[in-house]
Amino acid sequence: MKDRNSITSQLDLTRRDMLKGIAATGAMAVAGTLGLSRIASAAASQTVSAYGVTTAQLKDWSVLQKSTGLKMQYAGSNNDVGVFMRDILASQMGNKADIFIFEGGTQNILGPQGAYLVIDEKNPNLKLWQRTPDVWKRSAVVVGKDGKQYGVPVIGNADSFGYFPDKLGVKADGSTDLSWKTVYEDDRTRGRVGYDNTWNYSIGVAALYLKSSGKAKIVDPADLSPAEAKTVVDFLVARKKAGQFRTLVSSFEQQIQLLSNHEVDVINCWEPAVREANLKLGEGTTRYAYTEEGYYKWGHGAYIASQAKGRGNLDTVYKMLNYFLDGEYRALQARDRGYAGPNMDLAVEYATKNSWTPEQVESLKATQQKVDRKFAKPFVSTTTPSHSDAIEDEWQRFLNA
Amino acid sequence: MSNLMQKLSSRGMRTPLDRSPWLIRSFLFVWLFVVIAPLLVLVAYSFFDSRNFMMVYEPTLKTWEGIFTSGRFEVTVRTLRIAMTVTLIELLLAFPSALWLAKGNCTKTTRAVVLALLTIPFFLDQSSRIIVWRGILDENGLINHVLMMLHIVQAPIKSLLYTEAAVHFGMVISYFPMMVLPIYMAMSVIDDTLISAAADLGATPARIVVDIILPLSLPGVLAGVVFTLGPALASWVEPNLLGGGFVNMLSNSVDSAYGALRYPVVAALSSFVVLMIGVIFAVLMFVTRRFADLSMSFRSLQS
Repeated sequence: MKDRNSITSQLDLTRRDMLKGIAATGAMAVAGTLGLSRIASAAASQTVSAYGVTTAQLKDWSVLQKSTGLKMQYAGSNNDVGVFMRDILASQMGNKADIFIFEGGTQNILGPQGAYLVIDEKNPNLKLWQRTPDVWKRSAVVVGKDGKQYGVPVIGNADSFGYFPDKLGVKADGSTDLSWKTVYEDDRTRGRVGYDNTWNYSIGVAALYLKSSGKAKIVDPADLSPAEAKTVVDFLVARKKAGQFRTLVSSFEQQIQLLSNHEVDVINCWEPAVREANLKLGEGTTRYAYTEEGYYKWGHGAYIASQAKGRGNLDTVYKMLNYFLDGEYRALQARDRGYAGPNMDLAVEYATKNSWTPEQVESLKATQQKVDRKFAKPFVSTTTPSHSDAIEDEWQRFLNA
Repeated sequence: MSNLMQKLSSRGMRTPLDRSPWLIRSFLFVWLFVVIAPLLVLVAYSFFDSRNFMMVYEPTLKTWEGIFTSGRFEVTVRTLRIAMTVTLIELLLAFPSALWLAKGNCTKTTRAVVLALLTIPFFLDQSSRIIVWRGILDENGLINHVLMMLHIVQAPIKSLLYTEAAVHFGMVISYFPMMVLPIYMAMSVIDDTLISAAADLGATPARIVVDIILPLSLPGVLAGVVFTLGPALASWVEPNLLGGGFVNMLSNSVDSAYGALRYPVVAALSSFVVLMIGVIFAVLMFVTRRFADLSMSFRSLQS
């Protein structure tokens, strides 16, 4: 029996609440109320309810219905992992949503506690599972630390930094592998670097740089120990005091503005920020870096809410998960948001079959090549490092320096 | 003046709450439930701990100790310093502005236009208002452009943005209406015959301001301080957009802790702020008790 004060106990309590709810529904069904008919209608329904980050959404879900007959009811969540997990646990979002879509890491906490179902890899509706590359389906985005498969990969990318090739004197086509030294310790960029001010996004890449350059002993940049976090923050504080950073960035809009105004020469940012800046500055003015050391590789996984098991619509849910692995979703996400994902070859196939322009098809192929090149290097990020409290405390030191 | 106050209070205007005693009890009960109880819960939470996104319900002082070792205490002191500086600047700017509006030689139309302009910020999103200043203050912004065009400077001034000065500037702009409007309202109800009588007796304008207008407008000043200091302590937009991450304030610290679901840290920081505000106003009441009754501060808003 668990200690009442332990971490597990409150989740157990939550689960008990859920069981009480199920029991109550059962009692209603026995009493001949709407209970059974609701479950029956859920089973028959082709609608899947999802709760997750808005970036996983298609701009128009009607294409889904046309190609598969499924219907998506999507509720957007906050990007903040804390808020997301609070919604799953305290607000019991699983009572409403069949699947959750979020950046990798939540499965390490919510999976073992029973909030997510383990994926049934043999489910006949998950047709594309076998042909999905391991680099996606076995990544830390969807597999828990306990080794269980809690999710299906949805989208992902390898984040690095945007830069102006002319300012760094490197090839204008952006094909050069640049070192993260450009961000942290390059005299050419001193005082001209924008650096993201969220600990989760920025501490891992600094750890990766220190590890790769041999300046610090780091086991896993994605999961720093308190001592490692201190080492990384000490380094960042020193660089901040040396005037390396022009500004610490807190939003996507700021990333675009800083690049568009030429206020920084280098910025660790999302790839779409570079695309948006180039719309104003002209194609190829800024580039998104290929790096020597590696990337902040992130991915969104789709996880089945444990409550969905009792609703009887798991077949529909698995059809939806399969759709995330298929060419249509992949092609549309790549075209509309610039994000990659598993089975990019199916996206190319889909685009060709559906008479997309040769430029669009070429662009998809280029995305595939880019992802293959980037994903060969470390590291896969997580939103829930084991020592998040210590890391967050250390990060305050960096912000205050 | 005190006779006037006594008359007002002894007039005994009966409000609906006075007529029905159960109404006041109900109000107090609801107030306790929605304001005091959450505060008590907040304080209680600060004596627990969190680990890896989960609450650990074991009483501990670890969270409070962490406030002092992680640099969050420095954030609190910085926030307090900036908020009080901004409040003081606001007061120095708002008092003469309110005086001009209420008792100066401005026409009714000018007064109406200025008051309307002062209320405009309440209808606009704060981020939208502040982000405009980034385009004006940044390296390639309007000010640097003009200065370089006029050959006043040879290279762009970088320190216009991402400094404490920039944050102060943004906050002063944001909270100016909060300070000026209560002072204006308090001044506008000051009887003009008092000022005329003082002038007839040979008082200089400075003497009139110090001996008549300042004491009578003190409730408005106190209300302005309350309305400015509170939001200034909780500022989030200005430090983020104009501080560029180099001016870490309490709201950012709370936000960061909240992102890691560290409820005890959030609770401890919030409790600390509530405590700070309590201390500040206790000091304020102590200092001003000879001149004005803080409980009268909001009376000026009724006019």
